Amino acid sequence: MPSSPSLFRPRTLDEALDILAGTPDARPISGGASLVAMMNAGLVEPAALVSLTRIPELSGIRLTADGSILVGAATRHSAIAADKALGGTAAVLAHAASQIAGTAVRNMGTIGGAVAHADPGLDFPPALFAVDARVQLAAKPARRALPIGDFFVDWYTTALEPGEIVIGFEIPKPKPGDGFYLKHARVSGDFAIVSIALSLADDGEARVAVGGCGPAPLASAEADLMLSSSLSADTARRAGEVLMALANPVDDVRGTAEYR
Amino acid sequence: MTQPVSVMLKVNGKALTANAATPDTLLTVLRDQFLLTGAKRGCNQGVCGACTVLADGRPVRSCLSLALDCDDRRIDTIEGLTGQPIMQTLQRAFIAGGAFQCGFCTPAMLVASFALLQSNPNPSELEIRRALAGNYCRCTGYKKIVEAVLDAATRLPAEESA
Repeated sequence: MPSSPSLFRPRTLDEALDILAGTPDARPISGGASLVAMMNAGLVEPAALVSLTRIPELSGIRLTADGSILVGAATRHSAIAADKALGGTAAVLAHAASQIAGTAVRNMGTIGGAVAHADPGLDFPPALFAVDARVQLAAKPARRALPIGDFFVDWYTTALEPGEIVIGFEIPKPKPGDGFYLKHARVSGDFAIVSIALSLADDGEARVAVGGCGPAPLASAEADLMLSSSLSADTARRAGEVLMALANPVDDVRGTAEYR
Repeated sequence: MTQPVSVMLKVNGKALTANAATPDTLLTVLRDQFLLTGAKRGCNQGVCGACTVLADGRPVRSCLSLALDCDDRRIDTIEGLTGQPIMQTLQRAFIAGGAFQCGFCTPAMLVASFALLQSNPNPSELEIRRALAGNYCRCTGYKKIVEAVLDAATRLPAEESA
């Protein structure tokens, strides 16, 4: 294993996990859109980096035999925004991807990197709630999968253990219907002040999640049930009140807690 | 974090050798070692877009790209793209339309516009605004920039067949 430079570029997941297990201070890096920005700002100084962009099994979107969708962690935002497999209720994921930052960042950033970064203003986390995704994690020796709601633990804190990485997302078979991602930001492409992800099946089932109003997206089975029974302005308001009761927003450069 | 090592990068069709440590970005190497100063260091955070270059033909942020991780990619900067007919058309349209104020964002605006016109030779104003949404003009001269790209798009077929 070379000590200099401390940039590892494994070609297989197995190799990547071995390096991460054997190099305690190593950080995985994928598109670099968040980590390199933090390095440039002097916020982090990783002892070693493990680039995950050359591992074929981590990239791309696959349909499984049962109709569920697997999105590899190293799939770029631009690929997700353009993917035709993400139809029906899963369209919310592509719609969210299309609103991340600008073209050049969408060509770099990856869904796994974004979700692992767990910034509360990110676009994918609420969309992943709206499609009821599971997060696939891998470390040596074990793999596991968590419901998206169990992945986010606190501000910028996830369920990832040292040496563990996000390898993909399981999206249950989309239903006929549609999905929408509405983002309220200062300018196009900025982090969300508040965002709403909604998947709406033709059979009436609705799933909603709100971003930017706490350490993790806000979601509630009660709110989903209300919206699934009726989409009137009145139920939307009452579902909003249920979600608002869960909110724990903070003041930041994009807006105050009260505004959120 | 590490000692610099020698790395060969494919930039503007040439194989160029740089010395880079792991945290060194493509932008730093382009500007400080290859003296290709068209890509600018604005925010160094991936927000302003002034560092935009093409990697394998698609716009990326050179300030967020690790130089050592780019050795298997084809990098094109404004300096290399200037010989291309689409870029020349864009440059003429920017000049004719006065699509500059201080000029700091201009190379990246041209690179991003080039990538747009390559994939979509006849974009609407909205498509242009979307494609350039990640490129900031601190002088706020967006109107003339968008108009210049629209103008360039109308001139592409004639120039290419000429």
